[in-house]
This record gives sequence, C-alpha cells and structure tokens, in this order.
Amino acid sequence: MRKFLAILAAETARAISQITKRGSGSALPGLVAQKVDPAIITKLADKLSGGIILVTGTNGKTTTAKMLAGILEAAGHKVIYNFSGSNLSRGIASFLITHTNFWGTKMDGDVGIFEVDEATMPEIVAMVRPKAVVVTNLFRDQLDRYGEVDKTASIIGKALTLCPEAKIILNADDPLVASLVSYNKNTVYFGIDDDYKTLSKGAIDSRNCVSCGAELAFNPRFFGHLGNYTCPKCGSGRPKLDYSLTNLAFTVEDSKAVLHTTSGETDISIQLPGLYNLYNALAAGAVADFLGVKNEIIAATLGNISAAFGRMEKIKLSDSKNLFLMLVKNPTGFTQTIETLTFDKKPKNILIALNDNFADGTDISWIWDAEMEIVKDYAKNIVVSGIRGEDMQLRLKYAGYDMSLVTLEKDLTKALELALTTLPSSETLYILPTYSAMLELRKVMAGKGLVKGYLE
Amino acid sequence: MAQKITIFHMYPDAMNLYGDLGNIITLVKRCEWRGIEVEVVNVKIGDKVNFANADLLFMGGGQDSGQRIITDDLVSRGPAIKAAIEEGMPALLVCGGFQLFGQYFETTEGDKIPGISVFNAYTTAGNKRLIGNVVVDIAHVASEWQNQFNLPGSSESHTTLVGFENHSGQTILEGDTKPFGYVIRGFGNKGDGGYEGAVYKNAYGTYLHGSLLPKNPWFADHLIMCALYRRYGNVLSLTPLDDSIEIAAHEAAIERSKTAKTISI
Repeated sequence: MRKFLAILAAETARAISQITKRGSGSALPGLVAQKVDPAIITKLADKLSGGIILVTGTNGKTTTAKMLAGILEAAGHKVIYNFSGSNLSRGIASFLITHTNFWGTKMDGDVGIFEVDEATMPEIVAMVRPKAVVVTNLFRDQLDRYGEVDKTASIIGKALTLCPEAKIILNADDPLVASLVSYNKNTVYFGIDDDYKTLSKGAIDSRNCVSCGAELAFNPRFFGHLGNYTCPKCGSGRPKLDYSLTNLAFTVEDSKAVLHTTSGETDISIQLPGLYNLYNALAAGAVADFLGVKNEIIAATLGNISAAFGRMEKIKLSDSKNLFLMLVKNPTGFTQTIETLTFDKKPKNILIALNDNFADGTDISWIWDAEMEIVKDYAKNIVVSGIRGEDMQLRLKYAGYDMSLVTLEKDLTKALELALTTLPSSETLYILPTYSAMLELRKVMAGKGLVKGYLE
Repeated sequence: MAQKITIFHMYPDAMNLYGDLGNIITLVKRCEWRGIEVEVVNVKIGDKVNFANADLLFMGGGQDSGQRIITDDLVSRGPAIKAAIEEGMPALLVCGGFQLFGQYFETTEGDKIPGISVFNAYTTAGNKRLIGNVVVDIAHVASEWQNQFNLPGSSESHTTLVGFENHSGQTILEGDTKPFGYVIRGFGNKGDGGYEGAVYKNAYGTYLHGSLLPKNPWFADHLIMCALYRRYGNVLSLTPLDDSIEIAAHEAAIERSKTAKTISI
C-alpha cells in the first residue's frame, strides 16, 4: 500500500512539475516517492528478473551505460536504464517509477542499468542488490562536491563490501580502481594492451602505488594515470586482464580496436573518437560478456552506438557545416577530449563554454590542470564563453595561444551565433561546454531548430 | 647577461590538488615575457637539492594521503628552507602547503602532524569543509610592496586577491604573525570571515587556489621581484605587461563571488 501511495504521489508530482514547467521534472517525483516510501527503490528493483548493473566512476558512466544498454537490447533483453544523467538516489527512484505499472507490481524490462554517482554508491547498492558493478575510472572531479579522489575510492569500496555476491568489473589500468579488489574479491579486470602514446605530459592523480606509496612506473601511460604500471619499490602492478583491447586506431571522429573477451577476439569500430571512448566500449563489452552475450552481438552493436547526450554529439547543419558537442567535466577528461582534435592536422574552430554552477563544479581551478597547451597550434577561431569565460580566456593566454584568434563572448547564445557566423562552410565547430553550459547551449540549439528538444 | 631565477616546486605530484600548476605556469610565463630565464626544479621525496640555489619556492595543497606521504621529507628539509626564507627567499604556500609551513596540524583524533614552523601558526582539523569563492583585502601588505619596489601597475593600487578556498583545517596565527589579508567574501583561516593566510618576510601562506597567481598578477610580480632583488640586488622594477585579460578575470571573479553560493558542510 505504501508503495502504491509513493508511486501515486510521484506521478502527481511529475504531472504538476510538467504543468508548471518547473525544472526538468526528473528528480522531484523520486524525491516525493522516497518520502512516502523509503524502500521504494528496493521494492521496484527486485522486480527486475535479469538483475541490475551499476556503472560508477568519474568519467564515462553515461556512455558506458548507453553502450551496454544497446548491446543487451540487441541480445534480446528488455533494458531500462537511467540515460538522462539524473543519477542521484531520487533520480533513480523517479526513473524506476516511470518504468513500473500503476500498482508497482511489474517493471517494463528485465535488466536495469543504472549509472550511479560515486558518492551515492553505498546508498544505492544497499537498496538495489546489483548483479554487477562496473567502475570506469577515478579522476579528480568537482572536488568541491565530493572531497578528494582517495575519499571517493573509499566510498565506492564501502559500497562494494555491501554486495559480496555481485561481480565487480574493474578498470585494471587505473591503479586506484584496481585497488578496490581489497573491498570485494569477486572481481574481473579490463584494460588496454597497446603502445598508444599520449601527448599529455603527466598524470595528476593516483600516480603513487596504493600499497607502498612509491611513484609508479608506467609503460606505457595511456592518459591521466591510466596505463600499464608497476611499482618499482614493492613490485605490485597492474592485475592480469580478463578483458582487453589491442590494435587501437583513431581518427578525429571514430576509433577501432580488437576486443578480447572470455570467448575470443573480435574487431570493434565505434563512431566516437578518443581512447576514453574505447575504454567505455571495453567496459560495456566486459559486462555484456559476463552476462553471456556473444562477441558478434557486442561488436555489431558498438558500431552503431552514438554518444550519450551531449558527450560527443555530432550535429549536421544545413549549410554543410557540422557541430561537434563534447562535454568537458574535469581536467583529465578535458585533456583527453582536446587531444582527439590533434588526430588530424586541420586547424580547428572551437567554442569553449565554462560555467561554475553546482553541476559543473563551483571551483574552476581544474582548468589549470587541463593541458590546453596541446591544441594551441591547431587553433583557427576560438570563442570562449560562460559564467567564467574570462578565466578560460586567461588559461588560453598562459597556454601560449595566439590571442588574436580568441574572442570572449560571455553570453552563450551570442557566443554560439558568433562561432557559427565565423565558421567557414564545410568545416566543423567543436563545442566544449561544461555540464550546465551544455544544457544551456542545447536549449539554444533547439530554439534554432538545430537539435531536437530535450525532454525527460 | 639575461637574468635567471630558479623556482623550486615542492612535491608537484603529491601536492597538486587544486590547479596548483597554474601558479607555476604564471610565474614562468611572466618571467619569459620579460626575457627573464626561468628554471623549475621539481622537488620530490628524497631528491637531493640545495636550497641555496632556490630563488622562489612554491608548494601547493594535497589530499590527506599526499600530505602524509611528504611530511617526513619536508620536516627533514625544514632547517634549509627556513634559512633561505630568513634571508629573503620568496615563497608561496597554498592550502596544505600553508598548513605544513606552520607549527603543526592537529587531526580530529588529536594527533599532531609536525610542520616546519616558518609561520608562528597552527592548524586544527575542523568538522566542516569551507568551500567557495574568496575575495581578500591585502591593502596593508600591498602598500608595503609599493614601498619596497616600483611594481608595474602599482599606481592602480591593486589591493585585493581573488581565489577559491576548500579546506576543513582552521589555521590560527599566534603572537604577532601577520595575516596575508582580511576576508571581504569567503571564510578565511578560521572560517569566521576574519583574517586570511599568513606572511613571514617574503613567505606567503594562503588558502586561496583558483589558481591564485593567474588572476592576481600583481602578487605574481611581487614574488618575481623579491626573487630578482635577492639574487641581483639593484633590481627595482619589472617591465610592465598588458594585464587586461588578467584584470578582466580578477574582476569577473569578484563579481561572481557576490552571487555564487558558498558551502560549509
């Protein structure tokens, strides 16, 4: 009865928030439902017969979840997943309620994929009893919200102790993620075996051995602190890989590799650039293999997956111009994203939009850890915008950019118009926004009819 | 002969939590733009270095694990660092670096992690994290800088610093230790909106990152001046630079601090 009341209250809240058009309405119904029935998530989650997969980590959650959902659907599952990025507990409650019948007795899917914010992991794990947990990576992110990377790892670790029966699927190339095995031994590892050389200069997090504190030796380092590492002092190193990628190849727009799973190897090709997207594909492939999906289905599906909302979205304009929307959230992600712009030698048109709202992280000092220097010789026209546009302009100055190519226009609408006006036909505008700037820009684009409206 | 300064960057791996690299980038670029040669020496645990060769020292903030890793090494270097600071070496210590240049850091469990006592100050772990944009009035220090050197732009009397703080430690100054500034917006050393940072000779401790120096170029220039003056004696001014982009970012940060929320959790 309580469950029914919770669902009723949530649906009412949703209806009201849609009528009054307050906010996107994605979290409010869940918040209301949890107030009425605190166990609502557990009750609904238990109705998913094929189990629940949790995806957590700093970067790549949304894209990994999306890829995995695609693969499982292709394998005949009916999948529900919280694609909208509203991944706090109230968001997950809202999401489950949308996927249940009026009485809360049946779900309209058999497998659930939830991307979960690191800080929420213990709460969510306790509520949903996952079948598998994937940890993508741990980078410094929005420190003002979560404290520090080591603390984030221990929060995830605590969550892993709460689900001893779940399969824990860890990124072996991230020393901090790999060390989570100390919380739950039921693990498998994924990682990359390739001689890929990054342009970025160094890792900013987790360069030290988790066991003894000595500086790790990477050979090679793929990006950030991800790579094949050993500790020169205590001899510990990257765990043996159960899932891997080899033979990597990239362009500015797509990536190829060979995927090795427990059932052999297969070529994969994804329409997304950058090594971090191959990591997402690898993580999704590892979970799919664990759930018994065949390699052919994994490969065929990955080839057709487009980026998660705003992450790496290509938009064709009528006058043969293209927009490429690439979300940036944290220094390592930023460095990786701009590194993809160097995969061909063409000068690039770029719009960078830096906001410092809560969803972006209110502390923008991370832009000084992003290696903006990498792209300075690829700059054609650059527009900087957003609440902290001046800070980004300053960052580019100290990164050695030719400042006559850089224009500051704080207003996002005007910045987009300016960038589009100066964009030569048949060229691409690379848009690098932080999260709230991305939402705002997408709204502007929808208003101009460039993209479909975004409704949750 | 071109002038040259050597910057010692203390523990760039373990203590680099909040964009601290931006401070180094700023010092390097502002020297290079003036034809001053710069060398950055990254000082890691166990590295054999001679602090007599250092013209400027920088240390940033770290995670708790980073601070634990470096404490013993820092304490062993304490006397050499203090000797250099006593005879005028400029130093910038941000957040965790600031705390470890005090007498000690007392954890919530009551353990005292020793510092190197450059500042007559100590830090106790607080039960709240103080997070947000900060604006600090440094007029009392800036006027001393003007008396000391003929800094470019000093006639415009830049008397504020902007940055971002994120700390739970509360740093209490003892005796006649001078604060770096007084909080206009933000929490400051003790979380009460009172004083911020500490100054001893040419060593500056502060909780401001953001990064600090890019948006406060007059402070960056003061550190460079101190370094040049100590090494070359009769240097009394620096080539002026076009700081319009820096000043725009400084002013935007002040504006933003009026509307952005601070967090105390």
